[in-house]
Amino acid sequence: MERRDFFKKVILTPLLTPLFLAAKKSRSGCELYLIADNPEEFFPLILEELHNYVTNCGHSFAFLNSHPQENDLRRILTQAGLTYVQRPIQADLTLSFKPLHNKTLPSFTLIREGRIWDIRSRKLYSLWRDMNKNHMPSSCLTIASFKGRQSRPFSGEFVSVFKDGRKTEMISLEENVTKSYSTRGGKITLRVENRKAWVSESSCRHKICLSSPPVSFAGERIICAPNHFLLEIQGSRYIDTSIG
Amino acid sequence: MARKLCIFLFASLLLFPGCGARERWQTSTILAFDTICEINIFCSPSKSKSAQEEVQRVFSEIEALFSPGIDDYSSPLVLDLFQRGLKVYHDSNGCFDVTVGPLSRVWGFFDKSYVVPAPEQIKSALKLIGMEKIEQKNEALVLLPGMELDWGAIAKGFGIDLASKSLLETGISRGFINAGGDLYCWGKNPSDQSWNIGIKHPREIGFLGVLSISNLGAATTGDYQRYFVKDGVRYHHVFNPRTGYPAQSKQSVTVCGPETVICDALSTALFVSQEPEKILEKYPDYGAIIVDSDGNLSFLGKAYPFNPLE
Repeated sequence: MERRDFFKKVILTPLLTPLFLAAKKSRSGCELYLIADNPEEFFPLILEELHNYVTNCGHSFAFLNSHPQENDLRRILTQAGLTYVQRPIQADLTLSFKPLHNKTLPSFTLIREGRIWDIRSRKLYSLWRDMNKNHMPSSCLTIASFKGRQSRPFSGEFVSVFKDGRKTEMISLEENVTKSYSTRGGKITLRVENRKAWVSESSCRHKICLSSPPVSFAGERIICAPNHFLLEIQGSRYIDTSIG
Repeated sequence: MARKLCIFLFASLLLFPGCGARERWQTSTILAFDTICEINIFCSPSKSKSAQEEVQRVFSEIEALFSPGIDDYSSPLVLDLFQRGLKVYHDSNGCFDVTVGPLSRVWGFFDKSYVVPAPEQIKSALKLIGMEKIEQKNEALVLLPGMELDWGAIAKGFGIDLASKSLLETGISRGFINAGGDLYCWGKNPSDQSWNIGIKHPREIGFLGVLSISNLGAATTGDYQRYFVKDGVRYHHVFNPRTGYPAQSKQSVTVCGPETVICDALSTALFVSQEPEKILEKYPDYGAIIVDSDGNLSFLGKAYPFNPLE
């Protein structure tokens, strides 16, 4: 289903419009709009992929209203390690149900900080295509709101890795990972931990990149010229330069 | 018809010489003042190269005139900067002083041979301190024997102002020049907003906060920029011209205002002074972000948009 059609269906659901507009204005967290009569079938994979991108998928979930698939959703979310809580205010993830007037092909979309969020994930893309092609039209819309971490101004969200002058990878600052890269100049290892990124090993001669302090704010960079390697922190609001 | 078209194209090239070379953000770095200087400007690639050369030319001229040990006291730029420094000297009751050269020398900051001098050495160096001891005769500065100028607290800001003014005159309407602790930014940033300038934390990795400014300069003086540790005590390069010892009550001072040269001098003056608010009363267009020796953050003077970070 085209994204345009998806929004037409969502916007035309009268009860949903105020909720959707509120989500558009939201500046923190992210909302998942999932059209499927059996959301529990698709939720685990979406959740797994989101975990790599959403600042915090959280530990608890609650329902804002009665959901036709509530029992199945509770089961799969518990299996995913989340705890059910009764009061939505205490939950990191809240789920609500809205019936669609006209049945439509199953699909999903994500809204983050008031904008459609395109995640370049092969698994999510395959899931989207599979839902569109192989499933019957549905009338159940599930809205999952991830509270997320209240992002601080200028705080970074991703590390962009540039190798030999080309952007090769984006890593969420939420991850704790160590990755090594072979470049035309040599070998370099990047460590991401506690929302900070730094170079932990390098084959370069002067090791200036190794002595660079960890970076975490949008716009901060570590450059290793001999290794043709650059890492840059990305976020919604950038620090242009620094003094001091 | 073809001839008319050729004439039209030729005339267009004459009238719009910049057309054809697309403007975009150009970042370059040069080495000057013992640091990496960053130039980020919005212009065509060809203009970027000449702009970089111009900044290098200005900075080289400043280094040639104001580096330690240079005794050119008659160049127009030297006389101009001396007069600007003299005003801050008087306004700060001597807390900013370019005659601290003998102190920088006995503490070893000129040649990086750091040493804690004997009290007698400091006492004799103090006899040579004070800008009022310098006379201006026949378009030249006249120093007492043994006096030595240290332009380190003002020359970089002066160079940045000259270089950015020169780039503005060539039609570069957006950009910044950042030479380590001193900066001037003009126009809008790549997001069409004010420039977001991170102010480094004096004790921790990361930033104290972010200044959002445009068409303004900013400069920081901190006890962490140049220092040595002897017997567990940190001795930094910002001297109190009265005592001859490093000034003690602050970790860093950042000053923001219309001229980088004044920001530069004021950041040192406020760092040294026990009454910084009295100095800033004389500079209503300037504001300061101060971290005291206990790490407390305070603001003085004109308020510029500042976003503190954890």
